[in-house]
Amino acid sequence: MAELTVTPLGGGRYRVSDRASHVVAYAVQSGRERWVFIEGMVYVVAGTDSRGGIVHATDDDVALSAPMPATVAAINVTPGQEVETGDLLIMLEAMKMELPIRAPRAGRVTAIGCAKGELVQPGVTLLELE
Amino acid sequence: MFQRILIANRGEIAVRVIRACRELGIESVAVYSDADAQSLHVALADRAVRIGPPAAAESYLSIPALVDAARQTGAEAVHPGYGFLSENDAFARACEDAGIVFIGPPANVIASMGSKVAARKLAEGAGAPVVPGETSIDQSDAAIAAAAERVGLPVLIKPSEGGGGIGMKAVHDAAGLPAAIAQARREAIAAFGDGTLYVERLVQRPRHVEIQVMADGAGHLVHLFERECSLQRRHQKIIEESPSTAVTPALRARMGDAAVAIARAAGYRNAGTVEFLVEGAGDGASFYFLEMNTRLQVEHPVTEQTTGVDLVRAQIAVAAGGPLPWTQAQLAQRGHAIEARVYAEDPMRGDLPQAGPLLLYREPLMPGVRVDGGAVEGGEISIHYDPLVAKVIASGETREAARQRLLAALRDFPILGIRTNVPFLVGVLEHPRFVSGDIHTGMVDADRDSLLAALPHEASPEALAVAGALSGGPPTPPSAATARLTRVTMDPWVTLADWRG
Repeated sequence: MAELTVTPLGGGRYRVSDRASHVVAYAVQSGRERWVFIEGMVYVVAGTDSRGGIVHATDDDVALSAPMPATVAAINVTPGQEVETGDLLIMLEAMKMELPIRAPRAGRVTAIGCAKGELVQPGVTLLELE
Repeated sequence: MFQRILIANRGEIAVRVIRACRELGIESVAVYSDADAQSLHVALADRAVRIGPPAAAESYLSIPALVDAARQTGAEAVHPGYGFLSENDAFARACEDAGIVFIGPPANVIASMGSKVAARKLAEGAGAPVVPGETSIDQSDAAIAAAAERVGLPVLIKPSEGGGGIGMKAVHDAAGLPAAIAQARREAIAAFGDGTLYVERLVQRPRHVEIQVMADGAGHLVHLFERECSLQRRHQKIIEESPSTAVTPALRARMGDAAVAIARAAGYRNAGTVEFLVEGAGDGASFYFLEMNTRLQVEHPVTEQTTGVDLVRAQIAVAAGGPLPWTQAQLAQRGHAIEARVYAEDPMRGDLPQAGPLLLYREPLMPGVRVDGGAVEGGEISIHYDPLVAKVIASGETREAARQRLLAALRDFPILGIRTNVPFLVGVLEHPRFVSGDIHTGMVDADRDSLLAALPHEASPEALAVAGALSGGPPTPPSAATARLTRVTMDPWVTLADWRG
């Protein structure tokens, strides 16, 4: 592939060219993430990870946290309770929508890290499964 | 004509109405919750009044707070926009009782059209065809499940009040009924404060085509043709256009007449929309009355762009007691317009709404493109409200010209800091079915996997090159992007917000 040249145009605009053609890109840095917009597509480049798109979470840490800032509408389990895969653990509410947090696997609830009515932030663990 | 109008809404529609007021020489009064103190609609209005905390129930849905704000500022009329209290008859009545003109239909018309049961009866009485369905008087889960069996599966379970696809659930087999009924009821109560449910037969592969109507206080009624709103995801419209590729002149005339007949039977006044489901295409297609929305629609711009009228100005003129600005004979469709709704949501994660900062936000400027937006760079999309960021409307002589313009506009609409559906909209507009015009309401959800697969899953070489240039820059002075953000943060609105009071 031909080498790409990036020229800042000011105001978050960049011109990306190889010998044959060029495109205009828009980019900003937000913490460790770099957001890039090119021709209607958005790429989030995180740290040294070169993946675009959103990384799909599979582990409990992420599955049992709020995907976005939300209000805890209901907590359906208590510590010590055994749950099956798919059981509704916590119901969050944001932007007029319900966001169910379901058990990613069977297990026992060891701790609950939120309270009904609380505003929770993404990434914070709502519940721990053993 | 009014001297001062209060806009009981936020976001892009508040901005739209404020601009119409300015053109007409009418003072605009914005209202805002604490979450919106620095919003564009507050900055643009002549005055702004704080009405409460971020929760909509205590601010944009608070009838006493809004009526007080109108009284305090001496507003003679209230424009409700869409959503929030726009279809709440108690609000319309509270305005009337306070001697304030509600820019919309009379309270009793809102009430009858707001009830799907009453609206159906009214439409049937006016001679319009309706989809089979019922609202059980016994609202227990078992009775609703029984009603679904009587209507015949598959069915749609939806809140009797409200709209916008909220709380609406499609059920294909009896086993899915209990969960769907429970969830629809919870969402209905949360969104509209009323858990009454309605069950309707699910028409397969229907198109959603609606007719814009407008009426004045003297009983004059016109329709402003159709809007095709079949492109939906999870029953939420994302792309609308006019004219519809399924509607022939003969079908248009029949649907227009039906819409006018329904509005006349209801004693309608001001702007409204009669929604129909269309089965098939061409002169022989069938259509069924779905519901009437007693307010301005989100997608009203496609009608404005193809008929050359201003619906908001007409709403204000009619509410002030004036005659309809046009006769039916003066109205005509010209060219084609398509609207794309830009939502703060992540298509890769089930359309999960996104909240966060608009680090970079640049609306496209180009021939034939209109952007109705309510956000600014440096602002924030809050978790408290609807995730609609902006509407991009493209017009052209032909559908294909409008489609190409809309694609060009979306490819030049960078929004960074939060995920939006712009990449997904580009994919939908390029989809062969959309290009051909052979669409139905289930198309986007049915083709979802292939539409998502077409989105980039890895950063392109160009994106990586730009990202590299970004992080490789010297730490001081700040990069151009950072410098711009700093400037926006220091915007004068921030300091003027308190002064406006």
